[in-house]
Amino acid sequence: MSVTSIARAVRVPGLIPPYTPTGDEIAVFELAYRNRLPVLIKGPTGCGKTRFVEHMAARLGRALYTVSCHDDLSASDLVGRHLIDASGTYWTDGPLTQAVRHGGICYLDEVVEARKDTTVVLHALSDDRRILPIDRTGEILEAPPEFMLVVSYNPGYQHLLKGLKPSTRQRFVSLAFGFPEAAREAEIVATESGVDPATAKRLVTLANALRSTADHDLEEAPGTRLIVDAAKLIAGGCDPQVACRAAIVECLSDEPEITRALMVVVLAIFGN
Amino acid sequence: MEEQVGIAWHRLINRLAARRFPEAAVELASVSRDAALLFRALGGDHGVAVQAGAQTLHGARRSLLERLAGSARKVDLAWVDRQALQLPPLIDAFPATSLNRDLYFWLAALCAVDPQPHLPWLARNQAAVLTITRGYPGLAASYGRLVEAEIARRPPISKLAPDEAQQEQAIRAALRKPGSVAALPAARRPPHPVLLWLRPELPAKGKKPHPDKSPDQPSQAASALQSDKKRRLAEHTEMPERKGGLLIFRPESIFSWTEYAKVEHETKENEDQDLAQAADDLDVIAIAQDRRNIAKKLSMTLDLPVAEGDDTPLDGNRMLPEWDYRTHTLKADRCRVNTIPLTDAKPCALPEHLKRDQQRLRRQFGALLPVRLRLKAQPEGNDIDIDPYIRHLAHNAGAETRFYLDQRKRERDLACLLLADLSLSTEAWVGEERRVIDVIRDSLFLFSEALSVTRDRFALYGFSSQQRTDVRFHTLKTFNEPYDDTVRGRINSISPAYYTRMGAAIRHATEILGRQKARERLLLLLTDGKPNDADLYEGRYGIEDTRKALIAARQQGLRPFCVTVDQEAHEYLPHIFGKNNFIIIHKPSELPSRLPLLYAQLTR
Repeated sequence: MSVTSIARAVRVPGLIPPYTPTGDEIAVFELAYRNRLPVLIKGPTGCGKTRFVEHMAARLGRALYTVSCHDDLSASDLVGRHLIDASGTYWTDGPLTQAVRHGGICYLDEVVEARKDTTVVLHALSDDRRILPIDRTGEILEAPPEFMLVVSYNPGYQHLLKGLKPSTRQRFVSLAFGFPEAAREAEIVATESGVDPATAKRLVTLANALRSTADHDLEEAPGTRLIVDAAKLIAGGCDPQVACRAAIVECLSDEPEITRALMVVVLAIFGN
Repeated sequence: MEEQVGIAWHRLINRLAARRFPEAAVELASVSRDAALLFRALGGDHGVAVQAGAQTLHGARRSLLERLAGSARKVDLAWVDRQALQLPPLIDAFPATSLNRDLYFWLAALCAVDPQPHLPWLARNQAAVLTITRGYPGLAASYGRLVEAEIARRPPISKLAPDEAQQEQAIRAALRKPGSVAALPAARRPPHPVLLWLRPELPAKGKKPHPDKSPDQPSQAASALQSDKKRRLAEHTEMPERKGGLLIFRPESIFSWTEYAKVEHETKENEDQDLAQAADDLDVIAIAQDRRNIAKKLSMTLDLPVAEGDDTPLDGNRMLPEWDYRTHTLKADRCRVNTIPLTDAKPCALPEHLKRDQQRLRRQFGALLPVRLRLKAQPEGNDIDIDPYIRHLAHNAGAETRFYLDQRKRERDLACLLLADLSLSTEAWVGEERRVIDVIRDSLFLFSEALSVTRDRFALYGFSSQQRTDVRFHTLKTFNEPYDDTVRGRINSISPAYYTRMGAAIRHATEILGRQKARERLLLLLTDGKPNDADLYEGRYGIEDTRKALIAARQQGLRPFCVTVDQEAHEYLPHIFGKNNFIIIHKPSELPSRLPLLYAQLTR
């Protein structure tokens, strides 16, 4: 896998991705940034973790290097590696190294998914040393004050094998994200999708109804993102029942019995 | 001839009298999962199960035809309590299937919402209806259809006595415009039952069961266990002091049955069915405690008023707490665990019929041994991988840059504790030759065979219980013992006994497994049914206690997983273990061969 495919630098000056705060997270994040503290964000799927980081990066005027972690992601995917081309061997920086060099924000999404050796790399960066030693080149990079490390994970489907070690966890300022309260979430859904406020409100009622069945019937509660997707389909002219089936129900379960039962809940709200 | 005329008359008059539409009937079984999910989605308690509720005597005026037919004394209404969401077993009140099905969903929603349960019947139902119609437009639309159908079904006002007509008017107004009627006008008879509303509150009755009079365990397991899922209203009463006063069951004696149902009887051929029928016909089943065993057993869920139980703390060395969901408290020192070492079991070899499986498992599980894996074409590694490098040179391309061989050691640092349910229910037969306990025994053998190949550390324990003073914990193999003929002898000697106090057993197993220093610790529970014991550890109480015990186990970093052969486990295991932490084995006879494979999957 090439390094560029896993990293994405967002640098759009002047355009801040919209984000509706649910608490003090913006203030805490800004203070953490000023005090050079790394931040850990935990919360269920689709509750706005990534959007929040994008928003904060734009607000603080820093470049954002996003890495979506997966179980094959190793330390050198983050730090960089030697590559070979016709003219010989050369070194390329990984996204983490790039962020340190240029003083950007490095965001590791779903950090628990990454292989264990990656967290070791983060240790020296996330305490007050703020250094990134690169074994391969013998370089020791000192992080500039603008550099910030942000990681996120979803405690919902945490495996026993894939927990975050306490020694890692305690290096971060932690922000717990949940779903916004109904009225605010309806606002978000309406602005993100362009659907009318009444429909947005109904969609949020549906989301909250489905959320209360999580653990028992569903592996995970539906996130705001799913609701926004359904709202976009509805705003585009789709029948609400069809939209909810396609964008919400079928995304939550593959078991026909469960999807049938979920449609009963959809009909309770969008039936006619 | 006389009899035939009677039967024909019965059929005719019943058909004429019945305001029912059998061709549009919807059964609870076909919608129970959907209704249960809707109930939870609208805020209903996760711990309650959906059940077919008992019929309620309504006492309202019946039509002449109904009185002639002797029918329609009782009606199916919905309600929810701490144990279960009670829905009618069948709905055929409306002419269209869709209406009958919608009524199920409507009732599930009503039970889930019920914002003001303390209000009187009329006000309470109107409040609940308002909450739903305001919050859930889809249900509001279906309510509109249901109200029209319900009013069409109700007795015409013109045919009622003036006071009853007034009452009926009020109910219709409350149905059409919920929230508009403050109180029900008085009348000599209760109003005609409203299918769209919750059942009116029943007065609580019954005495406390005697704490020291626990039923002995039946000497013989039930031969033919009949089980239906309908719940019946029940109360505790004293057993009448009468020698040989057991009733012989005769259909015409039904009316005298409302008092004592000692489930022992003779004479009739098809008695199990009769008994279930008789139980349906009773308004309240009285339960008396005595010490006599019964030969036949009718298994059903009774709506007993929840017993208070005695709360005296016990003393002893192995004391464990227990969770009381009614008070939300963890009561310290509630259960005494007695560890039974099984020292007198004779050592033995693996039974002959398992030898073939043993060979197969040895081969399969050899693959789980810690080995070094060679990974080709890696972006980095200890050695050069020649093939991709040559390919790279030949193509002179910059894209392919994975020319290293890497070695990765697959390590296993795992401790597993297997906890087997040895309660009396495991004496039930599966198929012709084997009982559940035999299946569990074979499973323990093969599981041990497989794990001794992987060199994972493991321990085997069994448990049963006889109330909270005696939770029996059988040590089959500790973590430190090797798996040898002594252990096999102990496995061979297991036998079913008593009940299933799961929470206490899990807490004790958690302590043992928690002392193991391994990176992954698996607590595997092998069972055949839900938690129960001969005291209040029944139904919701046992389920909530077990759930709490598992949460505590997870907090200690253990991973609990349940393997069950109970086909109805999907009703309660998601609540206890969580959606992904259990598996139901549909053919119990497959358990011995499936269990080791399951272990391999879980730990791969």
